[in-house]
Amino acid sequence: MEVSNPTKLTVNKAGLFSRFLKVIKKDDNIPAYVLMAPMLLGFLVFTIYPIIYVLRWSGFDYDGFSQAVFIGLENFIRVFTRDSSFWNSVLNTFIITIGKMAFEIPLALVLAVLINSKSKVNNFFRTFFFMPTIISMAIVGIIFSILFGSYNGIVNVLLVNLGITADKINWFGDKWLSLIVIILAAVWSHYGITMIFFLMGLQSVPKELYECADIDGASPIQQFFMVTIPMLKPIMQTILMLAIVEGMKMSDLVLVLTNGQPGGQTEVAMTYIYKYFFPTDAMAGGLIQYGYASSLSVVMAAIIGIITIIYLRLSKNMSEV
Amino acid sequence: MKNYAKKISKIPALIFLSIVFIISIFPIIYIILASFKSNAEILTSGANLLPEKFITDNYVKAWTLANFKLYTWNSIYMAFFIVIGSIFTSTTIAYVLQRGKFVGSKFIGGLFLSTMFISLGTSSLFPQLQVAKLFGLHTSLWGVIIIRVLGINVTQVFIAKGYMSTISKEIDEAAKIDGCGFIRIYWNIIFPLLKPLIATIGLLSFRAAWNDYMLPMVFTLAKPDRAPLVVGVVNLRNSGEAASAWNLMLAGTSIAIVPMLTVYLFLNRYFIEGLTSGAVKG
Repeated sequence: MEVSNPTKLTVNKAGLFSRFLKVIKKDDNIPAYVLMAPMLLGFLVFTIYPIIYVLRWSGFDYDGFSQAVFIGLENFIRVFTRDSSFWNSVLNTFIITIGKMAFEIPLALVLAVLINSKSKVNNFFRTFFFMPTIISMAIVGIIFSILFGSYNGIVNVLLVNLGITADKINWFGDKWLSLIVIILAAVWSHYGITMIFFLMGLQSVPKELYECADIDGASPIQQFFMVTIPMLKPIMQTILMLAIVEGMKMSDLVLVLTNGQPGGQTEVAMTYIYKYFFPTDAMAGGLIQYGYASSLSVVMAAIIGIITIIYLRLSKNMSEV
Repeated sequence: MKNYAKKISKIPALIFLSIVFIISIFPIIYIILASFKSNAEILTSGANLLPEKFITDNYVKAWTLANFKLYTWNSIYMAFFIVIGSIFTSTTIAYVLQRGKFVGSKFIGGLFLSTMFISLGTSSLFPQLQVAKLFGLHTSLWGVIIIRVLGINVTQVFIAKGYMSTISKEIDEAAKIDGCGFIRIYWNIIFPLLKPLIATIGLLSFRAAWNDYMLPMVFTLAKPDRAPLVVGVVNLRNSGEAASAWNLMLAGTSIAIVPMLTVYLFLNRYFIEGLTSGAVKG
């Protein structure tokens, strides 16, 4: 933009307007906004509006039919003092996120190191390790509910036939067993992507480092811990970030696989909130509570935001090798 | 001799890789094979991988009796319009942000980026449904299509921006001297150069659209006939007749995953590149 000339400070209104027009006509202002208009509108309506919606209604007692009543912070007091089921679902979200990371990240790293060199066999493995990631999370939920079915599920049949367990296990009758199945399903459907991230990271490690380590007499295992792992720090930062955010937002898989059963014990935060917006008989007595659902959304968005910021602070030094 | 020892040392690694290989394909193979079993066989002998007798009756029934013909059609048209639409909107936004000189470009770029840190997840479904209701789109997949196409997919925009930054700006400037405007430069010059990018974005949005569950589920709550495949399969499972329709559910699940798998087996390189490049750049 032009720097305004101090002697021209006293311009009349018409002058201001024509200068405004000049600025607008300069560069690509008009065509740029014309091109962006539909998407900007979509962004405002479908991304920004939901944020405003939950912020606004979080202060109301609102069921969509009767007059909404402003109740101040009452919804938030209810979230923090009287809704232990919500905090249980948040705890489940943490357990699943951490359990998935603890299992998936070492597995993906080892696989990436093993198939790093270019060969036909490795290409074959890469293609099939990645394959589960292209299947819908909801379908993954169905597949795992079939595999782990208590009567005729193949996992139970295999466990009994191999003599590992005496009786068939009722996987979905117990909170912890259900959580384990959820974690296994989540790992199965996502380790391929994490492995590819590690492969990308490995490609950026200079070959000379390994040659030097070889000359110094370092064994492959020593090389892995002293060269590979430190060089993978930047990609690790991205992988952890994605794993945390995606884990906290998990919904489809849990909704299809356990739907919170048994007795709402395996609910995660996003499915819990969803059920207050779209109530069924099982929860909230089938009552619509948009106001309360909104305040739950605000609390969960804040939790995810705070965790993201803390993580970015803590992992700052990981972005450089 | 040394070579021989090296080959031996690779065997444990190969065994490990093979085990993981089996784990990653077993569930898919199991489901597809089970979809050829009769309902009685599914309920009694879950352990056999191969069906005693191959029957295709499940598919015929799923197709005609359980509405899967309709679900498949819904999935195809929803995915088609989302793919076509996303290609245009993602590349356009990327072009404007990457090349455009306009007031507020930094602000708008930052606004898109900042929403990556605000995660409403499932909470945005209801407000989106309310907006669609205003236009009468709340019981149709058109609501889903419009939200997915106009609601800006930040990952795709980042991939597109990264690709566009590799196209020389001299091309634009030459066109500008010849009197080409901002929009015509995009349409006549930049867009035709984007073929590999269009393939990547097309694949990404096809995968997302074909696999989408929550949004189309919410939009078809009132009209289950309009559900896409994934929603249809889950609805069938949640319905009361789940046990008697076990075979139909397996056939439906196969119908839902086989098209994706086929596309993947032919184009896996582009899938892998596309799915990972955006996240890292973002």
